[in-house]
Amino acid sequence: MEPRRQKATARLILIAFAALCIGWLACLDFAAKISTNVLDLIPAAEQAPELALIRGFANDVQARVMLFVVEDPATPGVPPRAAAQRLAEELRRQPLFAEAVVMGDEAAQNALGRQIYEHRFELLLPAWLGRQHRAFAATGQPEAKFSNWLAERAATDLEAFLSRPEAAAMQDLALSDPLLLVPGLAMRSQGLTSGGAGAGGHALVWARITVSPLAEAGQGPVFAAVDSAFAQVKATHPGVRLRWTGINRFAAASRARIESELRLLNAASLLAVLAVSCIFVRRIYKLLHLMPVIALSLLGAWTIATLTFERLHILVFVIGSLLAGVAIDYGFYIFMQPSLTPDEPYLSKLRRLLKPLLASCLTTVIGFSLLLFSELPLIRQIGLFVGAGLLCALGAAMLYFAQLERPQLEGREWGALGPGRATPWLQRSLRFLFGGAMAVALVGPWLLHWRDDIRELDIPSPELHANEAELRSLFGENPDSGVYLTQGSSAAEAREHLEEFLADEAKLAPKSTAASLGLVLPTAADWQALGPRLGELRDFAPEFHEALERHGFLADSFQPFFVAWEQVQRHPPDGAYEGLAKSLDGMLSGPLALLSNLHGPNFWFLTMTSEPERVAVPPALHTVGTSQLQSLNTLFSRYRWSALRLSLIGLALVIGSVFAIYPFRRGIRIALIPAGSCFFVFGLLGLAGSTLNLFNLLGAFLGVCLSHNYAIFSSDNASAGTAPPVSIRLSALCTAASFGVLGLSRIPVIHALGMTVALIVLTALMAVELESLARRSR
Amino acid sequence: MNPFAKTLGLCCGLLLAARGASAADANLPVGPETLLADPAHDPAWRELFVRLAVSKTRQSQFEERRYFSFRKTPVILQGEIRIVPDRGLSLRYLKPEDRIMIVDAQGLLMRDDEGHERVAPADSRARAVTDALVSVLRFDLPSLEKSFSVHGRSDGDAWTLAFVPRSAALADLVGVLAVSGQGFVLEKIELVRTPSQRIEILISHTQEDVIFSGDVLDRFFR
Repeated sequence: MEPRRQKATARLILIAFAALCIGWLACLDFAAKISTNVLDLIPAAEQAPELALIRGFANDVQARVMLFVVEDPATPGVPPRAAAQRLAEELRRQPLFAEAVVMGDEAAQNALGRQIYEHRFELLLPAWLGRQHRAFAATGQPEAKFSNWLAERAATDLEAFLSRPEAAAMQDLALSDPLLLVPGLAMRSQGLTSGGAGAGGHALVWARITVSPLAEAGQGPVFAAVDSAFAQVKATHPGVRLRWTGINRFAAASRARIESELRLLNAASLLAVLAVSCIFVRRIYKLLHLMPVIALSLLGAWTIATLTFERLHILVFVIGSLLAGVAIDYGFYIFMQPSLTPDEPYLSKLRRLLKPLLASCLTTVIGFSLLLFSELPLIRQIGLFVGAGLLCALGAAMLYFAQLERPQLEGREWGALGPGRATPWLQRSLRFLFGGAMAVALVGPWLLHWRDDIRELDIPSPELHANEAELRSLFGENPDSGVYLTQGSSAAEAREHLEEFLADEAKLAPKSTAASLGLVLPTAADWQALGPRLGELRDFAPEFHEALERHGFLADSFQPFFVAWEQVQRHPPDGAYEGLAKSLDGMLSGPLALLSNLHGPNFWFLTMTSEPERVAVPPALHTVGTSQLQSLNTLFSRYRWSALRLSLIGLALVIGSVFAIYPFRRGIRIALIPAGSCFFVFGLLGLAGSTLNLFNLLGAFLGVCLSHNYAIFSSDNASAGTAPPVSIRLSALCTAASFGVLGLSRIPVIHALGMTVALIVLTALMAVELESLARRSR
Repeated sequence: MNPFAKTLGLCCGLLLAARGASAADANLPVGPETLLADPAHDPAWRELFVRLAVSKTRQSQFEERRYFSFRKTPVILQGEIRIVPDRGLSLRYLKPEDRIMIVDAQGLLMRDDEGHERVAPADSRARAVTDALVSVLRFDLPSLEKSFSVHGRSDGDAWTLAFVPRSAALADLVGVLAVSGQGFVLEKIELVRTPSQRIEILISHTQEDVIFSGDVLDRFFR
């Protein structure tokens, strides 16, 4: 092909590619495409239903709750309830708010209390009778004595109840409920320390928003709605102050911080690369020729990743921006390789460099392709982003430099350790050094500690966390208590599982008290047994009357109960269990509605225990603690091993490809440099007592692929006994500088990734520079 | 967040009978003739109020008699009572069960012998009761007079003060609060909703200016 035609074709391909990519990206709705939600890092089809439940609970239920605290400094100790009522009214007027209620709103609570009391025979009696039946069965007495036994036991329980502190407040209730169905439920549920509405002079407002707090619509517009509502409150209550919290505050702050981090790191990375280039490149302006290569590589990576995945996590772009450090390698290598003759055509030069370029790029792409098989979406996304970006970088570099008349970037050779400097003393020292490094690489990694914490994906925001903790404590949340979700495929199954979980909890922690809305609902078995059990209790009323008298009660005082009992015996509650669950669901609103899901598709009950949450609940109980961070940490640890397995297979493939392309001795060298650098760095970190995570592992994989490039690009020089090309030094130092900058990130995982890559790349560069000196005989 | 527990607690409170106090039937001084229009400056009562309001720590034994409309005899509970003016009142029940009940400015707290705590619902009704109790035990007249009219009757050294809620809603909740004693010693606290629904707390063996150690304060107060 003629040089001119060749140039035009290359330009056309590049322009068409860029136009296609820009066209696609311009049409994208980035807000919908890019997620900042850490829960999106979990596979949507994660097999454990409990994790799917937590994901749903956290995303759809808990995350939409916003808590507001109103206080008036002018009247300390007096909760400004009128201002809180006004705030709730104003919030309810905003379309972004589905509900807003003042905590301690006695009208709403009274309504629920009344409903539970009125339906006590449907809701509470079946479970009470079931418990008594089981207790009676344990005594081994004949079935015929059950009614009498029950009458005596109920009277005994009522007598004991009168000594309890609650008795004075509930004495009138006991007249119509001497079986203590409602007081019993209240006592079982009050076993937890709870703060109170109005405690400490604060009025509390609980609200639920209609949109996801993780989406843009659930942040800025909601904040504006809160400001607007509070402005209305201030008009009538000028002195009041408002504090509030919600997941959307964290999400917005996190997004802002990541964006700012991205800008800062990219700028710092560019400056670091420029600084390194100034040292090694004679005409610095010529580096601008590398920009289109990097830009096209990133453009291609963004396009292919967004085309492939329906939703991408923002961390892919943070980590993916480092692709620039890898993509620049091919540009440097082509651009800095001197022509064999002054008039060597570009195509001929490219043919000469094609083998190391393809070997380097394709083997790295094979390695990253393996990440596509990871269970973790983030790793799959990074695998595709980097793999596609590398292919685009290589293509763009080859096509871009075809347009230059003389693609040649002159480098400074200073600093190179040429063959003339290989004195015996230096060789001995270097061999000793390599021996030591090998020892570190073999021993150190065994001393490493691994731990994954999903919180490291974000920059900590102590002020928001402190505000959240304070507000939640005012709302009565106790960080020392356990919170669990028990699920089932139907209300009946979820309730059955809850019964099993509560029994297990009672066995494991007998002193623990558990409160759950599920206690208001009987199990399906108890519900179905209610009719027959009532049928067996025909003589219960007179027997209970007698028992009450024996225990010092004026039994006739309980006439309201005996009338109601006769009614319930005559017409026992019946109907489908689903209908009962639905009727309970209909009674719930506000915060109470978030304590269960009785309308599917995932049915669950939330349980709070006075004891701290268990580390692991047996899977058979279908219950999971809601300290989702811990659950996700375990999940991440599992994915780390999956990533390690894939990385090792990828590494084996990369090394296998090298041996397929290069002779054995050169293959050994090319394989040892990246692998040795990686193990040496892990060894150093192990000896330093560091704790690594999934992202150190990903960094190591990236570092190995980069080192692999240097080993390949320096292979010809090593065989010829000459110093490695300056392009490797420049490329490695640029990469180390840009990843080193990432090591300064406040996001712990980015810090881990940056430091690992920078250390491995520097080690590989040292190995490439020194190994030929160490093994060369005089 | 434990709105479920709070709501259930409230629902029980809600179901309290709406019968008003009938203090007259309980032989309490609540007629027009016993009304103390300005108790703080009434020469017959001023000194008693001053003496009882003095910030002193106290420890006594008590017997609580709970009268229920449906019981033939009162339920009797016994224990120790501790008063620390700036912390509140602590009732340690020893019989029939070991249990601690703390009434202070934050409300009502129950603590069992294992140290497990339960907070009473902090709604306006529960607070009305605890606020009233705290004010009575402190003999905080300015605070009491906002919600209660004060009645008094004396016979020699013996005296009885009754605090009658000014609003019907508060009367439904707390009934009449009465305290009585001999000289400057408090001997009985009564919470009277009806003659058949009342609580008497008989106080004996009172020690004043007791120095409570840190452990005791931590155990019996919030």
